[in-house]
Amino acid sequence: MLSFINSFISQTITYAVVYTLTSLGIVISGRAGIFNVAAEGIMLASASIGFIVSFLTQNAILGFIAGMIMGGIFGFILAYIHESFKVNQFILGISLVILGTGLSDLMYKLIIGVKLTAPRAPKTPLIKIPFISEIPIIQAFLNQDVIVYFLYFVILFAWWFYYRTKIGLETRAIGENPKAADVVGVNVVKRRYLSTIIGSMLIGISGAYLPIVITGTYMPDISAGRGFMAVGIAIFASWKPQRAILGGFLFAAIEVIAFRLQVISQNIPYQFFLMLPFISVLIIMMIFKKQIEYPASVGKPYSRE
Amino acid sequence: MKDKKILRVILIYFLSILFAFLVISIIVSIFGYNVIKVLKTLLTTSFKTTFGFQETIKKTIPLIFTTYAYTIPFMIKFFNIGGWGQMLFGGTITAVVGLTLPYLGINFPSYIMIPLLIVTGILAGGFFGLIAGFLAAKFDINPIISTIMLNFVAVQFLNFIATNPIYRDPFEGHPITLPLPKSGTLGFIYGVPVSIIFAIISIIFVYVLIKKTKLGYEITAIGHNLDAAQKFGINFQKTILTTFFIAGALAGLGGTFEVINIHKKLIEGFAQTSGAQYGIFGVLTGLIVAGDPVGVPIAAFLMSVLLVGADALQRTMQIPVEMVFLSQALIVLFIVTFRERFLRRT
Repeated sequence: MLSFINSFISQTITYAVVYTLTSLGIVISGRAGIFNVAAEGIMLASASIGFIVSFLTQNAILGFIAGMIMGGIFGFILAYIHESFKVNQFILGISLVILGTGLSDLMYKLIIGVKLTAPRAPKTPLIKIPFISEIPIIQAFLNQDVIVYFLYFVILFAWWFYYRTKIGLETRAIGENPKAADVVGVNVVKRRYLSTIIGSMLIGISGAYLPIVITGTYMPDISAGRGFMAVGIAIFASWKPQRAILGGFLFAAIEVIAFRLQVISQNIPYQFFLMLPFISVLIIMMIFKKQIEYPASVGKPYSRE
Repeated sequence: MKDKKILRVILIYFLSILFAFLVISIIVSIFGYNVIKVLKTLLTTSFKTTFGFQETIKKTIPLIFTTYAYTIPFMIKFFNIGGWGQMLFGGTITAVVGLTLPYLGINFPSYIMIPLLIVTGILAGGFFGLIAGFLAAKFDINPIISTIMLNFVAVQFLNFIATNPIYRDPFEGHPITLPLPKSGTLGFIYGVPVSIIFAIISIIFVYVLIKKTKLGYEITAIGHNLDAAQKFGINFQKTILTTFFIAGALAGLGGTFEVINIHKKLIEGFAQTSGAQYGIFGVLTGLIVAGDPVGVPIAAFLMSVLLVGADALQRTMQIPVEMVFLSQALIVLFIVTFRERFLRRT
């Protein structure tokens, strides 16, 4: 029983990296007023480049850095086209999703090509804390790879940044009322660029995590809708970082439960368990309907006139 | 004044395609391919042979349906990314009906069977579209999220049917059903699927619906100014539901024809072509026409020309089909950007 709980928590945390980093990334750009619907495309492009780099260099960390850079590039494009040309964020987001989808398979086919046996990603370094990593349950949280520790760090940092620093407060204000923030001397456009790029970098890391850690190899459409589920998490979390983190862990748990039930269950066809995470998104959004709040300026380009 | 606007629109499309092909040319030449040959193959394959042209029409038909599925809700500022799921669901239910009847020993002649399957596809697709419309109207859930979630539900549902002991083909390793009865399938005229007739009917239907009916007028009014439209007593929620039903019905109809005309059975991934699925291509085409249903058939045909060119590139030059997919995405990105730059400022 104990080992079951252990492995369940451990697996949930692995998936939580994907959901939490992505939804946090969306929350971070949303807080500054940019609704990043392109998460799915960013994840796919970063997954592809991350896997390619880690496979060619045989170094997982370099793969994550490549994914992060790809995310940053997408974030820059998103912020640039949105702020300079005032393109509707949803239209832009969908275009970027499609761009990322095309780019991911193309890069893989051009650089790695079609192989008979799927190439494997190198191992991601694990961090083990002596003694503490031996205790049951706690072990599931701490006996993890570097990126999980990075996730813990990001969670703490996001909380500290948004609720304990002046810059964080100002950035939250941009999402609510960019004009007022501008009046008190905050450079709204610069903050929006920064928030979108940093948020997209986190999404990029989570994208690279999919092929390098979770599946160990690249396959087309590897993110399988998780980018859009993360958008759903960000919405029902009302762009609050702490709720996005909870939502990320919740959906990771749902995915792991669906995965396990599918193996155990005899009577119900496994396809219905695979539907479960997607249906849960809709059900949770229906339940939380009353509590959902959007930052007032999210989705609108900022201009001084 | 109007002439000037048309000129600008033409300029936008021209510049976008030029820019996208420029980027593609650079990528292609980095990997050492002959750029002139690539562009020539891409643009002329459809028109060089009869087969190329037939293939183009074959891709245009489903693309018209998924593009309408995106375009009609887009007219009231909603994003239906679920054309794919609606197409899959429509095709799946069509196959279920088409296979269950002979399984039960009921054999209708084709003049009953074909209309029955078509109505099935319309209702099934429409129902699937209506779910997203309902979630948007009653629970304020953005269709971008709900339609994509429903796409994945439809994928799994198709898989469930195609691996079901009653329907599946026991000699296939891949999820594929038994063939539909002969009375439930359509053929080809001169190598062109018969479903082209229904595609043309749908084009006329959408044109009349948008331009000549009260519903079309309401859709246009909401698209221009929601507040004013509501003040004049247009029921917004009802219009959301209707548009999503129509969008889903058209996509479902597209799925029906893929099943009964092209494959003649249900195949996992039947709505796929040239490296991606028709839903994504429908969204791309829909972004190009930007909510103008009149432009849909033309844009769908031009997209299909690129898709046929993409297949030829893969066959003759071993360039992955995703190259063309990427170029289409770039064309769209440039178009949406230039459109804001050159049209809104005036």
